[in-house]
Amino acid sequence: MNFVHVGKDATRPDAVAKVTGRSVYLDDICLPGMLQAAILRPEHAHAKIVSIDCSAAETQPGVVAVVTGKGASQLRYGDNIRDLMPMAEFKVRHIGEAVAAVVAEDLHAAKQALKLIRVEYEPLPVYTDALSAMADGAALIHEESGEYWHLPGLGPEPGTNIANHYHLIKGDIQQGFAEADAIVEGDFNYPFGSSAAIEPHGAICVFHPDGRIEIWSSSICPFIVQDEIARAYGRSANQVRVHIPELGGCFGYKSDLTIEQTVAHIASCVPGRPVKWVASRKEDLLSTLLGHGIRTRMKIGARKDGKLTAIDSKVYHATGAYSDTGVHVCIAAGHNATGTYEFPHADLHAYLVYTNTPPIGAYRGYGHQESQLAIERLMDILARKLSMSPFALREKNYLGPGTTTALGEPLHATNGDVRACAEIVRRAVFSGDKPAGGDRYAYGRGFAGVMKSPKGAPHSSKGCYMKFNGDGSVTIAMGGAEVGQGLRTVVQQLAAERLKLPLERVSVYTEIDTGFSPWEWQTIGSMFTIQGGKAVLRAADKMIAMLKRTAAQALRCDEDRLDYDGDFVFLKSDPSQHVPLARLVRGYMYENGMTVGEVVQATSDCRLPRYSGADPATGQGNMGVTYTFGAQGCELKIDKQTGEITVEHFASAFDVGRVINPKQIRGQVAGGVMMGIGASLYEELVFDADGKCKNPHFRKYGFPTIKQAPRKQTIEFVENPGEIGPYGARGIGEHPVVGVAPAILNAIHDAIGVDFFELPIRPADVLAALGSSAEEA
Amino acid sequence: MAQTVTFKVNGVERTVHAAGWEKLLDVLRLHLGLTGTKCGCDDYTCGACVVVVNGKAQRACSFPLKKIEGSQVVTIEGVADGEHLHPIQQALIDAGAVQCGYCIPGIVMELYALLESKPDASRDEILDALDKHMCRCTGYEAILEGALLAQARMRKARAG
Repeated sequence: MNFVHVGKDATRPDAVAKVTGRSVYLDDICLPGMLQAAILRPEHAHAKIVSIDCSAAETQPGVVAVVTGKGASQLRYGDNIRDLMPMAEFKVRHIGEAVAAVVAEDLHAAKQALKLIRVEYEPLPVYTDALSAMADGAALIHEESGEYWHLPGLGPEPGTNIANHYHLIKGDIQQGFAEADAIVEGDFNYPFGSSAAIEPHGAICVFHPDGRIEIWSSSICPFIVQDEIARAYGRSANQVRVHIPELGGCFGYKSDLTIEQTVAHIASCVPGRPVKWVASRKEDLLSTLLGHGIRTRMKIGARKDGKLTAIDSKVYHATGAYSDTGVHVCIAAGHNATGTYEFPHADLHAYLVYTNTPPIGAYRGYGHQESQLAIERLMDILARKLSMSPFALREKNYLGPGTTTALGEPLHATNGDVRACAEIVRRAVFSGDKPAGGDRYAYGRGFAGVMKSPKGAPHSSKGCYMKFNGDGSVTIAMGGAEVGQGLRTVVQQLAAERLKLPLERVSVYTEIDTGFSPWEWQTIGSMFTIQGGKAVLRAADKMIAMLKRTAAQALRCDEDRLDYDGDFVFLKSDPSQHVPLARLVRGYMYENGMTVGEVVQATSDCRLPRYSGADPATGQGNMGVTYTFGAQGCELKIDKQTGEITVEHFASAFDVGRVINPKQIRGQVAGGVMMGIGASLYEELVFDADGKCKNPHFRKYGFPTIKQAPRKQTIEFVENPGEIGPYGARGIGEHPVVGVAPAILNAIHDAIGVDFFELPIRPADVLAALGSSAEEA
Repeated sequence: MAQTVTFKVNGVERTVHAAGWEKLLDVLRLHLGLTGTKCGCDDYTCGACVVVVNGKAQRACSFPLKKIEGSQVVTIEGVADGEHLHPIQQALIDAGAVQCGYCIPGIVMELYALLESKPDASRDEILDALDKHMCRCTGYEAILEGALLAQARMRKARAG
């Protein structure tokens, strides 16, 4: 296919606004009469609230209202398991929860008054780990969990701290292990982390006197916010209007409802006045959504020849104090634990467990990197046990045409080629000899396959509204949240390609407004290019058909005799018979002014074909539908004196079906790799036994900076077109984080012969391991 | 204690009456409406708020107002020449260094302070400057590329 725009480095339409400081993010918005809120957080991670005394705070200068969680138990919310609350009422369940709030004329006054609120607590036992919260006799974090509304097929096990248990069965696990000649197992941990966008969460909410509720939020799910706020406050959805300004990064944790219900609860106490709340970094880390918190216990078996026979995997997910936003992360970790390999027999459990830590939500990768850390490490360990090359072992077992996933979905060539990706990475990193390390340094190389499918609601769709302006230029509105990933550029390129227009004649929306924007479920799962891009093509095709219908009247011929070239609709058999675009887009006007034909504008949407939920008996179903396969590998250097690890070269290859914008897709991969390196070597939010966070600020969190970036990156793409996305494109946003940790940990073993099972690997861990291996020797 | 300070912002003299607790970042964003300068952390680490004070890159979130009296401040709003982007801004765009954009104002100002005063800064000096900034989107590859591209273009413009 000869493309004009697809596959080219178009410049993002929002670039100039961003480099000149003109883009408007949530905290840049100031509304007339706007008040500021500050929120009180608890002193204990699990405690009964005995009393709250707000009297001293209420009388402070500038204070308009002090808000508590009285009545908040009646405002439970959530899409999946309705256990969330806007503010704690009878007890607190984690250290970042909202206990009370002060609304004041300025933020300083609100913060000062907050210090005067007195809360008496009665501490309860604290659990920060899934296994301890699951143990017999553990105190309940949600005594009433059996009463929570939940989607069919999901839900808590009353009388325990288990919020959900997902179980997938494929084949016969006992037979699978009986057929195995070699079995390996391990206990892996992917600790708590934060998506840590540089823009923290924030929202503004106003309850208008006429009954309308209006919200501005740093959210990627405006329509879910709209529906849930309407439900909570007894409004019809049209009375709730949600605006999404520019977003300063997401990486997962701005999806689903996070802070909006809390800000709405506060604003509902000062009706008529807008209330703004923006998270401090500490609040962004502890009072929005965390990532990971996933322990994976996995056992796999294979025949002597390396053919895999069985996988037994148990995911224990410390989902935090509320489970609504973690449940699908946990399920995804469960059924994607096989990674890029076909197992004839699989028994996959995923336990979602309430703990006294901040709730888990989406984090780029959505459960995949956590359990694929386990499978990709075990594949290396199994290769050693079988005395095979790790590449040969993987080669025997890759998913691809003719195989089926654990979910039972058959794969086709149009799902992509993991082998081609593996070969690119093997050549980039593993050809030639490793540098000689010597006494001071050791070098290692490691590899990991990557498989990721989206995890969304089966009805998830992405809408598009497209119109021709009078001069034949085009304006497009969609509901997809631009978080930096570059979807506006993709929309512009795809529309220009399909409509045969220059890029500068296609304009793309900058804000989302539920009052005007087309519906989109939410912008998650690396799905925008696939679904949103397809919706763009569908709308463009509708507009071209409309142009032809009108031109057929003007030229007095049948529509199928006509073609369109971006400037004219013309008769194929005689192009001199043509009508310019500008004379068709608002109907064709005859010389006497009479006008015929439609105004050329179209709506469209796109969902995944036959996407489904899980079969309650087997846990299987069409829960992947579109997969992106890839491979990652690295060469690293370990300083044996300091324990410091330097990633010298990181290579990634993905079969993305079709590259829409080479520069942007490279940026997605480079950024994802860096997040993966952060999780592997530096980042962790540490909670002590009391559930208090020991490092809730960037300085101590381990956020990687430029000096921790790989010295060199290889980033390549394979393009076997898919059947679902526009021009064959598949998703790529999350995938680059998935294989990073196992590639690094496999490389560490290659360098120093030590198997690590838990992240992050810090210099002290390396030195301790080197010390103990020296003692053993 | 209220504070009154007079200083130049992007070439224009301004006088601000601020509360005692307010820092330069609050003055720029809340008093002067210069919201291009961002806040991303609470412990002076992320670099999103960097502006140029008397030629030096400074974190506005922790910069005390009493030190601002009589000084010259350049913010992200003052870098472009009307419609014409500064070479640093253009190079960051061309290198693909702009994704969500939230860290970009701070990075532009950091490079502005460095490259305007030291056009021949070494690669290590550029890395040291960029190491004071956190970016979650790019993995830093394109940011370094953009910085080096900007330096090359600025040198060329100077030579030409």
